[in-house]
Amino acid sequence: MSETLWIEKYRPKTLDEMIDQEEVVARLKDFVKEKSLPHLLFAGPPGTGKTTAALCLARELYGEHWRDNILELNASDERGIDVIRRRIKDYARTMPVGEVPFKLIILDEADNMTSDAQQALRRTMELYSRSTRFCLIANYVSKIIEPIQSRCAIFRFQPIPREAVLERLKFIAESENVKITEDGLDAIWEESQGDLRKAINILQAASALDEVVTEDVVYKVLGKITPSEVREMVNLALQGDFLKAREKLRVLLYSYGLSGLDVLKSIYREVMSPKVLSQMPNHMQAELIELIGETNFRIVEGGDDEIQLCALLAKIALKAKGG
Amino acid sequence: MSIPWVEKYRPARIQDVAGNDEAKKAFVAWLNKWLAGKPGKKAALLYGPPGTGKTSLVHAAARQYDLELLEANASDVRNSAALERRIWRALTESSLFGKRAKIILLDEVDGINPREDAGGLAMILKFIENTRYPLVLTANDPWDPKLRTLRDKCLLIRFKPLGIRIITSVLASICKKEGIFCDYQVLRAIAEKCKGDLRAAINDLQAIAFGKKRITLEDLDMLGYRAKQADMFEIVRMVLAARSPEHARSVLSLPSLDYEMLMQWLSENIPHQYAPSLQAIADAYDALSLADIFLQRAKRTNEWSLLSYALNLMTVGVASARDKPKFRFVKYSFPQKIRLLSQTKKYREIRKRIASAIARKCHVSTRTVIRDILPFLFVIYEADAKLAEEIVKSFDISPKTFRAIIKQ
Repeated sequence: MSETLWIEKYRPKTLDEMIDQEEVVARLKDFVKEKSLPHLLFAGPPGTGKTTAALCLARELYGEHWRDNILELNASDERGIDVIRRRIKDYARTMPVGEVPFKLIILDEADNMTSDAQQALRRTMELYSRSTRFCLIANYVSKIIEPIQSRCAIFRFQPIPREAVLERLKFIAESENVKITEDGLDAIWEESQGDLRKAINILQAASALDEVVTEDVVYKVLGKITPSEVREMVNLALQGDFLKAREKLRVLLYSYGLSGLDVLKSIYREVMSPKVLSQMPNHMQAELIELIGETNFRIVEGGDDEIQLCALLAKIALKAKGG
Repeated sequence: MSIPWVEKYRPARIQDVAGNDEAKKAFVAWLNKWLAGKPGKKAALLYGPPGTGKTSLVHAAARQYDLELLEANASDVRNSAALERRIWRALTESSLFGKRAKIILLDEVDGINPREDAGGLAMILKFIENTRYPLVLTANDPWDPKLRTLRDKCLLIRFKPLGIRIITSVLASICKKEGIFCDYQVLRAIAEKCKGDLRAAINDLQAIAFGKKRITLEDLDMLGYRAKQADMFEIVRMVLAARSPEHARSVLSLPSLDYEMLMQWLSENIPHQYAPSLQAIADAYDALSLADIFLQRAKRTNEWSLLSYALNLMTVGVASARDKPKFRFVKYSFPQKIRLLSQTKKYREIRKRIASAIARKCHVSTRTVIRDILPFLFVIYEADAKLAEEIVKSFDISPKTFRAIIKQ
């Protein structure tokens, strides 16, 4: 059998196979039974089964024709609301295949759309509501504008509980003939918490590294996937060496290709780690959180990643040196 | 060696002066009459655009006729009584060096400002009246009304911009003497860019040939860059080394200021100019970051009245940083961001292609793939390259393509 990513290979195909999220699954099954559907809004943290639920729902609604009846869009990858609207328009024009009278449009990462774009989306939803249903997927409900929220049935996905994650990991390990120790499982849980996608990715990488997945092997993987430049950059800034910190930033932005927001998130994680926090006076912690939050705001406003993050690093350096 | 080539290769003989044959002929005839003791007009005014050989012709003639050359810039004459006396003596006394005669060159007479110094022109007229030796004046623009009286007293000799073919052949002969291999195309491009100014062409050639034995068309691109860059260096200095925040604003009056480029240049160079003051660096960056936000808002909302805030923040705002260190000369650099982006362009394109192939099949965004999936694939590749290649094949990505984005 050919190799692929386990997150794809072990993605549930039916609602029954879904891991956890029982309440959500039960209601989705009712929709399938009645072959009717409101607009849906799936909200919850990454790796909790939102996209999988949407795909399972489509499979069970449409049976063998499921691929013909869904349009999958990712708001982060489409170039602007106009492209999204055009694709929706082109798609909604054709009739659904089979006995279900509507087609399903899955719009992933919908909370990455600006509120203007969401307003435009709302009108599009109304325009085509006879022949289509929307399933919007987002990390945060609050980042979806009220008028869209009120038109959707909202499903909240919870982080997957520990037992369910470990059970799934053991099942995959067994199917792949991979030995994993209890401390190995614990280490994966520690890092991934309720994010099953991350947990499975760690397991697959760890199993490539060693025959037995132990705690050590897991940490080895984690050490490799987090660019060491993040920690180095934060430390350099805290030492007041802005120029060297900027060099690290550029490695993250241009050779790792990380987005400004992703770099900002890892700066935040690093600054908030107990090790870093314990070294700074209390008042500075709040100031740093404010600085990072402000930078987040400015990047979302459309600022240039490098200029905004440089400004942050310069301010961190100044604060750390008592300015 | 770093002697300017325009000096190193200044023509030694009159026939070596490139182009402008008519002017050369007229000049030689005038000089011959002088040396035969029967000058027509006592002074010659050589005029024409820069770099067309006016000064070179005088130098070559002096050497060829074995004349003692006394050279001064006309606008200096009025400033220094000593210089004036020196010229006066030279015009009226015999050569000190036993040469048979002298030639006096007064460069750039159109540089004299008659309002600031009414005496300057009068003095030159007095020189012409009294000179015992050939007196040569040069000017770029002889039709300036203030030079009218002067024009009447001089033989006018016109120098035209040099043709591309002539410039190209001079450049080629310099390359040959310097042992540099250079395409005809490249030389021609340099010549075209210089619009008849041979001095500029030779300077450009020396600049791009620096440290090279071979010049290609790519090097020439750099030349264009260099010209633009030079301007930016100045603009950045005007902001970062402004005497007061208000002075920094003056860059805004420059025609066609590329303010987005200016932001990148400022971002690159703020830490260089303002180190070691973290306060100044942080303040300047904060102003720049706000300028960036206002600029993006203006673009996004088409509300261009916001542009003014962006422009003032990136100039006045940056320059009003607190605790700036005393100005010292620092060498500014070209924005690394732009360099890095162009260096990694191909790499990023391949990565994007791979990421979107995986994104489609894994139902996630390419950003998620780059952040949450590719790092794991790299770990797998490190441990077991074959396995990783098998995995990417399932996404219709060839192992070769994948290997192109593996970090060294």
